[in-house]
Amino acid sequence: MTRSHETSLRTYLLTRLALAIPTVLILLTMVFLLMRVAPGNPIQAALGGHVPQAQIAKREHRAGYDRPILTQYVEYLKDALTLNLGNSLTDHTPVTSIITDNGAATVELTVAAFLVAVVVGVSIGLVAGRYRDTPWDVGGRLFGIIIYAAPVFFLGFLAQLVFADLLGWLPVSGRASPEVTATLSQHTHFFLIDTLINGDFNAFWDCVLHLILPATTLGLVTSGVIIRLVRVNLMQTMKGDYVEAARARGVRERRVVIHHAFRNALVPVVTVAGLQLALLLGGAILTEETFNWPGIGAQLVRYLNERDYIAVQGIITVFALAVVAVSVLIDLVNAFIDPRVRYS
Amino acid sequence: MSQVRRLGIVAVLVGVLAAAVAGCGSSSGGNSVIIRGTTDQPVSYDPAGAYDLPSYDVIYALYQNLMTIPAGQSTPVPEAASKCEYTDNSNQTYQCTLKPNLKFSDGTPLTSKDVVFSFERNVKIADPNGGSSLLANMKSVEAKGPDTVIFHLKEPDATWPFILTTGSAAIVPDSYPADKLQSSNNVIGSGRYALQSYDPGTQTVLTKSDSYTGSDPAKNDKVIIQYYKTSSDLALALKNGEVNIAYRSLSPTDLDSLKNQSGIQIVSGNGIEIRYLVFNENLQPGATAAQKLAIRQAVAYTVDRQAIASKVYDGTVTPLYSMVPQGLKYATKPFDTLYGASPNVAKAKQTLEKAGVKTPVPMEIWYTPSHYGPVSADEYAEIRSQLNDSGLFNVTLKSTEWNQYSTAAFTDKYPVYQLGWFPDYPDADDYTASFYSKDSFLNDHYSNPEMEKLLAQEKASTNDSERAKAFSQIQDIGAKDAPTIPIWQGKQVAAAQDDIHGIELTFDPSFIFRYWLISKG
Repeated sequence: MTRSHETSLRTYLLTRLALAIPTVLILLTMVFLLMRVAPGNPIQAALGGHVPQAQIAKREHRAGYDRPILTQYVEYLKDALTLNLGNSLTDHTPVTSIITDNGAATVELTVAAFLVAVVVGVSIGLVAGRYRDTPWDVGGRLFGIIIYAAPVFFLGFLAQLVFADLLGWLPVSGRASPEVTATLSQHTHFFLIDTLINGDFNAFWDCVLHLILPATTLGLVTSGVIIRLVRVNLMQTMKGDYVEAARARGVRERRVVIHHAFRNALVPVVTVAGLQLALLLGGAILTEETFNWPGIGAQLVRYLNERDYIAVQGIITVFALAVVAVSVLIDLVNAFIDPRVRYS
Repeated sequence: MSQVRRLGIVAVLVGVLAAAVAGCGSSSGGNSVIIRGTTDQPVSYDPAGAYDLPSYDVIYALYQNLMTIPAGQSTPVPEAASKCEYTDNSNQTYQCTLKPNLKFSDGTPLTSKDVVFSFERNVKIADPNGGSSLLANMKSVEAKGPDTVIFHLKEPDATWPFILTTGSAAIVPDSYPADKLQSSNNVIGSGRYALQSYDPGTQTVLTKSDSYTGSDPAKNDKVIIQYYKTSSDLALALKNGEVNIAYRSLSPTDLDSLKNQSGIQIVSGNGIEIRYLVFNENLQPGATAAQKLAIRQAVAYTVDRQAIASKVYDGTVTPLYSMVPQGLKYATKPFDTLYGASPNVAKAKQTLEKAGVKTPVPMEIWYTPSHYGPVSADEYAEIRSQLNDSGLFNVTLKSTEWNQYSTAAFTDKYPVYQLGWFPDYPDADDYTASFYSKDSFLNDHYSNPEMEKLLAQEKASTNDSERAKAFSQIQDIGAKDAPTIPIWQGKQVAAAQDDIHGIELTFDPSFIFRYWLISKG
């Protein structure tokens, strides 16, 4: 890499990181405001039925809900940036514990779904783009549209019905069977990794089986965008001069497609796939609910139902920060692999 | 890639898939591990923070109480105590002597100091989710030596031995925080099990405790309670062999689908869980007290409980004609006597006309769609159509989730609303004083001096015939005034693998799921 390349990359990185600061600030402000414009008294709602007013006032004071809104906002920003997210109102669990205990499940699901999305999306997109206007192309496009339009919970229920209920091949829900969960000694909270560390291959396989349905469901929904993008990009790059040149040199068609057209078609896919990774976090909430997957999304729904605004605010804050982090990371990867990005 | 290599890879993949399929669904525990699947989520395993069935189920397994209700019985007997009795004539002083050598699961001894600490901290913490209200009649508690505890009660109370059997009266070590709840994954008791782990929303694991010194230790070594989101997931987990027992709550449809499944048994027993309608007397329709009473009575005449039980619940519940469910001592059927077992629209019409009520009576009825199971919507659609079809009512149904519902219902927001009740203790007092007292948690503004007098009488008396007479009158007045209308009483129903034994022993009116009685093989 030349000196000017290094300078341009460094400048781009610093600019992108600097831009992340106002993004985070705007996100945190939105989370804070949204949590407070909801009607009703969240403390009373979280405590449920017939709670004396004195108890409610005590809890409000403890949660800082009785202070001026500006003071609450400043406190919230300070706490969010130091990752001091408080304790949930309903079960008094530290929000950071909720994140660490359940975050690994969400990451495990998201990464597996992302792999499914990329493998399915790129493969089908490649075939559809390569065999344009053939039944393969039509089939691939149709699949992409239908799968993208299908709600994740609908696809999930369908998968449960077929593979768990009718065929009995795969478990219906959860992260592992009850006994494996009960006996698993956890080091990283990532079950796949922990079972391997423990050298328990039966447990590892059990976890893989439990992961298949939720990851495939979430991954398939996400793959729709990738299918269409790969197909269109491949068709464009197939028209490129360098592809013609390769063909003219007598390079075999398969090699032309894979090594010349496809590689170049993948550059914009990286950007979109990265954004999809961030969106997958959102999709994970519905998938976790459908498959009883004990991740942060499932916890978010639980605390939403209980109107536990401290837990909800903490979880959404972490989600928002994660999305910003992934987005910055994707920009950096993009800049690294595509010089046009950092020079623009 | 050569053809042979490709074929080899395909063969390996097929082999791996076959192994996966073969391995799937075969992990429902060893001989001494019992896995129960449930859709019920606990709130807290600290007795000061729990007042709900799923929490109580685990609390009964982890802790001991001074008194307990043995399986199949309905009268409290000593558990951690060797003897408990009233020591005065007015039933206001209650003394218990502890059994010797009681130990918590961490090996520390259980003494009268721990008992006093447990009760005092429960009252002091007064957690909104806890059952400290059950101890409202306790003036003070004192330790007399290492093994004697004396309760001083504010008013004469024959139900105190029952109160001592509730999950909220479980004995905790004095190492617990005195002014706040102990974390649920770090609890210690002297019961038959110790807590191995608790992962909210996923599972609770209990292991047999070596420190338990009681006479009937657990018949299994480990219990795993696995939580499911929906009844259908739970039913499927049982079908696939992931759990041994599916209990609370399988929908009627899922229960039906399991009935003919080979290797699965359906176990049912007496249940005293009830559902009922509440009328807020300040908000319900009717211009005068007489009109309001007539409207309540007309609803009681019109509701077809049998149709609800058969059409909505497929016979898994039975019609209820008193707030005191059948199976409990002193239960009668005053709603049957007064209003009949079947709907009587003519009588309902006559009652409304006599009070000068214009028909159809507009009525807003509220229910909560998930807290009492997914069938609530069907149940209330049925009630609406029964009332509307009579031509006497024009019902509008409204619903909201439990958190908002439980706040609004008890704070004068809903004119007529659905509620359910599980027993705190299996005594008719729990099903009458809770609803008919002027200080009832229902906040329905019902008040009847005669009722108050009778409630005080039954509470103060340990005499069986006196209590029977009082409860009979209480139920009659309750049916005549109809501040609440009983709808149905649920059975306890579980589906389990064929080789699971002991569930039938624990299905009794106390509603305690006694894990220690369950065995496999």
